[in-house]
Amino acid sequence: MNTIVALALILLILMVLVGGRKGAKSFIAIFLNFAVLIVTIFIMLDPSADPIILTIFASTLISCITLFYINDVNSTTKTAFLSTVITIVILLALITFLTETTMIQGFSEEEIGELYIFSFYIGIDFVKIVAAMIIMSTIGAITDMAIAIASPMREIHYHHPTISRKELYRSGVSIGRDILGTNTNTLFFAFFGGYLALLIWFKDLSYTFGEIINSKVFSEEMITIMCAGIGIAIIIPITSGITAYALVRSGDN
Amino acid sequence: MAILHKLIKKLTYKQLILFTALLFCFIGSVLFVFHNHSFYERPIVEVTETSIIDTTETVDNHNNEDILYTQIIIAEIKNGKEQGQSIKLMNEYSTSQAYTQEYQVGNELFIKFDENESSNSSLVGTIQEVKRDKYILLVAWLFVLILLIVGKRQGLFSIISLAINVLLISYALDVYIHTSGTSLLWICGISVVLFTIISLLLVNGRNEKTYAAIVATLLGSFLSLLITFLVMKLTSENGLRYEEMGFLTRPPHVVFMAGLFIGSLGAVMDVAITMSSSIFTLFEKNNHIATDALKKSGMEIGKDIMGTMTNILFFAYVSGSIPSLILYLKNGSPLSYTFSINLSLELTRALAGGIGIVITIPIGLYCALFFVNRKKANL
Repeated sequence: MNTIVALALILLILMVLVGGRKGAKSFIAIFLNFAVLIVTIFIMLDPSADPIILTIFASTLISCITLFYINDVNSTTKTAFLSTVITIVILLALITFLTETTMIQGFSEEEIGELYIFSFYIGIDFVKIVAAMIIMSTIGAITDMAIAIASPMREIHYHHPTISRKELYRSGVSIGRDILGTNTNTLFFAFFGGYLALLIWFKDLSYTFGEIINSKVFSEEMITIMCAGIGIAIIIPITSGITAYALVRSGDN
Repeated sequence: MAILHKLIKKLTYKQLILFTALLFCFIGSVLFVFHNHSFYERPIVEVTETSIIDTTETVDNHNNEDILYTQIIIAEIKNGKEQGQSIKLMNEYSTSQAYTQEYQVGNELFIKFDENESSNSSLVGTIQEVKRDKYILLVAWLFVLILLIVGKRQGLFSIISLAINVLLISYALDVYIHTSGTSLLWICGISVVLFTIISLLLVNGRNEKTYAAIVATLLGSFLSLLITFLVMKLTSENGLRYEEMGFLTRPPHVVFMAGLFIGSLGAVMDVAITMSSSIFTLFEKNNHIATDALKKSGMEIGKDIMGTMTNILFFAYVSGSIPSLILYLKNGSPLSYTFSINLSLELTRALAGGIGIVITIPIGLYCALFFVNRKKANL
């Protein structure tokens, strides 16, 4: 049997055992998200499609699936959704700018070895492709952060209906701060795991510090990690603000 | 000025010292990185003039259209004994910039001098790399500042924990490379234990909550590694393609397993700490809460975080393949080949991480219950 199929089956069984109906739903959501990703890549193959706009669409769809399908459509998920989309747009602008200035787009000298049979003149803007890649790798963490802040904020508002908007905002930010550390850790380790081969490569071939820090491949990975951290941080005030605004206004009516 | 004065008044003495130290570090490092040319042995040039001398439209074998430009660059040498002289460089790039790139006035580049056959005065060279250190430093500062502004204390702790983990991983790899015969998996196992203890203590402080989370993380990640390892053995790694792993100087199988081990650790830690803090919070609110009630609430919390946590890992791994998927597909590679070669390892990583996340939910729950019951007995 195929290893991936076997692992997927084990994951499905575990998810259903631990999570019941919600577990099954979470598994299906991963599947749907994968489908969205693959379809997006296929549309990106058309040179006339703008990868940035496509990424915004895809991220919106992915956060819809994660928020509205696994959880329900309610005021919490709606504010979390809005915050996710706003954060993605801000982050995408930052990442595109950074990719352009640091020239990390495309493949590096180190990667080109195995790819020499391919033509690199494929007419698709790789600045945008790299920006899309970076934003997609943090979308899961951003959505998680949004829902993790918005839902306890709703609980707080429910238990203290008279809370002022400012106070509610503050408690949202403080909840966000508490999970900032673990959430950045999740992504950092995920990226470290992926970059392990590269780190060993640098050490085995005795790259100097100067060579490592200026190389395209290292810069690309550093920028991915930093942008992920920035994304996780800026969504805290955004979600807190939007949720506080939405909850306290509706409470006044 | 009045606002600034008010702001400074509001700061405590400690904060003031921290801010001043940060400001000095920032200014010092930026000044250094913009003037560090003499520290590099490789010649560095700054582009002063560019002109495009040739434009060709190309169509490759797969009908991909692109435009090729040939750029002549005049640049000034910034270091070495030729400092101050100007040099002529050639650059070819395409609009897609999938491998090549366009250079603009002000860019700083590493170059190699070409041996000049005739003794004419003008220097010629080949471009090797962009000088990216200054950008990396600025992005790093942006990251540090945003994390500090938004996260305050917790932001500082996550930066410290990131720095320690980077140093630790780098040291562990040095040990691995310089001592022959040590197994990478063993080294990663030891590092995982250290990572877990350091990160969780930094994020959560020394208390029973943290101890429960540390035990749960270690059990969860070792168990998930074991499951993945057994599955890979039993299915004889059918469908896993190591060819495109890239950057290989060592046997791919070991490097992959070690990466998988470390990669899921963050997510497993996150689940473990979430489970143990919520169980402890419930217990602290009501010291007489029944174990069954704790179990039930714990499982509910676990269900809530399961979906988003697996999603985080899934996207972190699979998205990295986007550029190569596009390159393969644009070059007319068959679909199933493209997917299996570019995604099989990433999917395995994501699934193994998912398994780690899900099994850590009950493990984290029971570890927290164990510590809670011990506390109860002491009451």
